[in-house]
Amino acid sequence: MRILAVETSCDETAVAVVEDGRRIRANVVASQAAHQRTGGIVPEVAAREHLRALDGVAQQALRDAGMALREVDAIAATVGPGLIGALLVGANYARGLALAAGLPFVGVNHLEGHVYANWLYETEDAPPEPELPAVVLVVSGAHSDLVLMEGHRRFRLLGRTIDDASGEAFDKVARLLGLGFPGGPEIERAAKEGDPSAFPLPKAWLPDRYDLSFSGLKTAVLRLVRTLEAKGPVPVADVAASFQKAVVDAMAEKVARAAAEHSVRTVMLGGGVAANSALRAEIARRTSLPLRVPPPRLCTDNGAMIGAAAFFSLRHRTGEIPAQVRSSMPLA
Amino acid sequence: MLLALDTSTDWASVAVFDGRVVLAEETWHAQRRHGEELFPTIERVLSKSGTTLASVDKVAVATGPGSFTGLRVAIASAQGIARGTDAALVGISTLDVLAYPHASTKVRTCSILPAGKHDHYAAIYQERNRVWKRRSPFMVGPLEELARQIGTHTLFVGEMDEEVEATLRALLGPRALFAAPASRVRRAGYLAELGWRELERTTQSALGEIEPIYVRQPRIGGSFQQPFAPPPQDDVALGLPKRAS
Ligand SMILES: [Zn+2]
Repeated sequence: MRILAVETSCDETAVAVVEDGRRIRANVVASQAAHQRTGGIVPEVAAREHLRALDGVAQQALRDAGMALREVDAIAATVGPGLIGALLVGANYARGLALAAGLPFVGVNHLEGHVYANWLYETEDAPPEPELPAVVLVVSGAHSDLVLMEGHRRFRLLGRTIDDASGEAFDKVARLLGLGFPGGPEIERAAKEGDPSAFPLPKAWLPDRYDLSFSGLKTAVLRLVRTLEAKGPVPVADVAASFQKAVVDAMAEKVARAAAEHSVRTVMLGGGVAANSALRAEIARRTSLPLRVPPPRLCTDNGAMIGAAAFFSLRHRTGEIPAQVRSSMPLA
Repeated sequence: MLLALDTSTDWASVAVFDGRVVLAEETWHAQRRHGEELFPTIERVLSKSGTTLASVDKVAVATGPGSFTGLRVAIASAQGIARGTDAALVGISTLDVLAYPHASTKVRTCSILPAGKHDHYAAIYQERNRVWKRRSPFMVGPLEELARQIGTHTLFVGEMDEEVEATLRALLGPRALFAAPASRVRRAGYLAELGWRELERTTQSALGEIEPIYVRQPRIGGSFQQPFAPPPQDDVALGLPKRAS
């Protein structure tokens, strides 16, 4: 089964063609440059850019796959969570395409997409599917959810951030340190040159629960930077490394504990922050279970993950498939 | 066969047109439910007109000015439908659609739509040398400012509540004329006629080039759980109280 999948929940205009929920036949992602100038996402600007780019991106995806629209079996699009104006562009374009081509429309939860990115591959030979049950950490600019995946599409929320998303904390600290947007890759690059134990910072978690919290940490970083500024030039690399360590330690600790408590068979990551190599390394160090992390370009938002989730949503269908967009839509 | 879609404001409309007559049309007060109601309506109007999308080779969509999000619902849908059916797509201004049914009155006409709390979108239409055309740019502003553009007797059409009508009467006196409420409503049948004619005159542009008429700049605001606005200062960005400097 071939699915053409559209993703426009935030600032990437993305369309992919995925076969049987796993094999990527095309995966086109157009990042919106406009937000780099403002150092954050302006929802109205994101929606405008999606509308301008989407049809061209979809055409490119079909060209890359070497397919005509009539060779596709279903059309999928992200219907939430996300920016409502941005979601509406992708979902309505996809529904129009589906109605016109006489194909089923599959509305997909974006977070399920990040989880199912772990099923994707681009090579000739299929790697084995991740074994379930699994503990999954979905971390991005908008989400930080720790979930237990008991089976296909059966999710149980273990913990989440009680304030900012992890990616958002990266963005804010990057801005504070005069680094670029998005903050994740910028902090990671700066941290490579720094000493992660240079400055002690508070842990980004709540004790006795699986929840995370980043507001105390970012306030501490702000205070630290103000104090350092008073003394001279800020050692950006050391601050970045110390901050990254505090975030990574908190996440790795929660993931390792959840994996042990629920005796799962796999640990999986997803979302833009999962592209952080320090996070992968720390989780790998703390657990002996197989760790599945999509390659970086499948961690950040893309259409292929929506195509994968759409396939499993049709195969493990539970009730009505949503067609309406929602700004908030929990995974579990 | 032409399919016409309009979700420019709280009012929405869908029509099917065969080049001569409107075969079916539905106009309703959708408020914010365009996203949910548009597709079921399209399917209903197609079936009432005895058509399928397979025979649709033209799509016309209203491009505003109007609610940015509302406009994008119809435009994105129209792009998808046009792509899926290989139909030609054309965008027509919502204000043009509003004024068009009144062309035969030969009265100077001003179409008006709400544009947020205190402002309105407007454009002025007039016949000159037997040609009915828009004679003003697309304007946005408070009614007082718009009233200054109105010289002679003018017929007002579009979405106006009693308060707007009273304000215009107070500002313009007998120069303000009002069409019957039912004839002020925007109907996709008119959009279909204008779209059909436009497609006979122009060549098809790329689907991505059809976009809303953005008379206003984007407002910076948040939504979706986290604040998304570009924070101007670090203190503000980090949500801390302002430090005394
Ligand atoms: Zn995401």
